[in-house]
Amino acid sequence: MRVPSVDFLALLQTLVTHGVDFIIVGGVCAVLHGAPIATFDLDLVHSRAPDNIDRLLSALRDLDAYYRGQGERRLHPDSTYLTSPGHQLLMTSLGPLDLLGTIGAHRNYADLLEHTVELQVGGLRLRVLNLETLIEIKEEVGHEKDKAVIPILRRTLQEKSRIEKLRNERG
Amino acid sequence: MEDTESLTFRTDEVPPELDREAYSEEGVDLTLIRWMLFLSPTERLKVLQQNVQSLARLCNEGTLS
Repeated sequence: MRVPSVDFLALLQTLVTHGVDFIIVGGVCAVLHGAPIATFDLDLVHSRAPDNIDRLLSALRDLDAYYRGQGERRLHPDSTYLTSPGHQLLMTSLGPLDLLGTIGAHRNYADLLEHTVELQVGGLRLRVLNLETLIEIKEEVGHEKDKAVIPILRRTLQEKSRIEKLRNERG
Repeated sequence: MEDTESLTFRTDEVPPELDREAYSEEGVDLTLIRWMLFLSPTERLKVLQQNVQSLARLCNEGTLS
């Protein structure tokens, strides 16, 4: 079996083109902040406002999205599931995509918005969870896989501060 | 907004003060963190992308051999 190609940037481009409101969280968020970790899926918290769900469904149709782990069956996401606080684990033509209604202690898109930064990535303006909040959420979740990455995220935050301090000292 | 271009600079611009410790007490590789921090967000995403593609190629080769 050939391994499907993964293109996070093209996947994000499709969502932006459709005007979907989302926040990048998880491993890709960590990498965008400079953490040297590996991840194989793109985790997003999406706005569950009705208009946004419509735009998201349109993007997911373009991406030929279906639920992972269903064997030969191709179950496609619908508005009922996307409106729920649950996690939709999808495969798309551009790689695995996890759409998360809430993360950590039931935090949704609106709750997280004030804890985000906007980054310019490959010509796109993307809303990304800040590193401090990503660490907090991984602590809230407390899964072993989340706990394992926390030391790397904390160190990334510390090194980032050191570099910024050195830059300021040098003018 | 963090700007893509402003964070991009050559490795010879990395301040030498940062290169003293290679590992933290928890065993985290600080050299990799510093290297990533001196890349722009776009470059960081490309590194991740290349890693995923490289591993996918390895899996494919493993399956085919």
